[in-house]
Amino acid sequence: MDKLRIRNNIRKLRFQHDEMTQELLAEKVGVTRQTIIAIESAKYSPSLELAFRIALVFNSPLEEVFSYDSPEKPSQ
Amino acid sequence: MSYQETNITVSLVSNLLILGFYLMNFFRMYQEVSLEPAKVFRLWGIVIVATIVLNILGNILTNIVLSIIHAIKTKTERNEPFIADERDKLIGLKGTRISYIVFSIGVFLSMLTLVIDQPPLVMFSLLIFFSIFAEIIGDISQLYYYRRGV
Repeated sequence: MDKLRIRNNIRKLRFQHDEMTQELLAEKVGVTRQTIIAIESAKYSPSLELAFRIALVFNSPLEEVFSYDSPEKPSQ
Repeated sequence: MSYQETNITVSLVSNLLILGFYLMNFFRMYQEVSLEPAKVFRLWGIVIVATIVLNILGNILTNIVLSIIHAIKTKTERNEPFIADERDKLIGLKGTRISYIVFSIGVFLSMLTLVIDQPPLVMFSLLIFFSIFAEIIGDISQLYYYRRGV
């Protein structure tokens, strides 16, 4: 299976938010803890709606939580 | 192992048991007295009813056991919401799609038995086999997606 190109900073952001547990984050965004684990370990790309909900929990813009590694280098 | 994975594992085990039971009885009949329609129909009935009943019972038992384990672990009576979120639904859909593909190939292969002059009983028996086999492949693929990512 191809490695996903969507990266995230959820682990870091959880740590910065009083070491929020995966369970609490899962509860806040309405998914299971397993889904948060899968997102953190880049085994699952969340839907746009879930990505926004996660960003809202951390009160951060989406780009700060998720980033995309483009296979093509940006043109100069 | 998550709630969904446990449920799929229970379904996989019950489907494997049913398939084993079906194949064992079918081949015994095939070797002993060739295929007697009445006996084969009875076997199909048992297999179809057993598939439905075992899956429902397995689901209920899994729910009860997991609720008890959760209550013991958290020491509360509050039930854990066994929700199926977007990832569970996606994996479920992918599993169903794979089951459908396997069953379609199975239907095609079953029809081939009519082309090579096998009795219709063989064709229908193969259809039953492929319906359970497709479920098993669907369950395995879902477990794969849970473990390796989707």
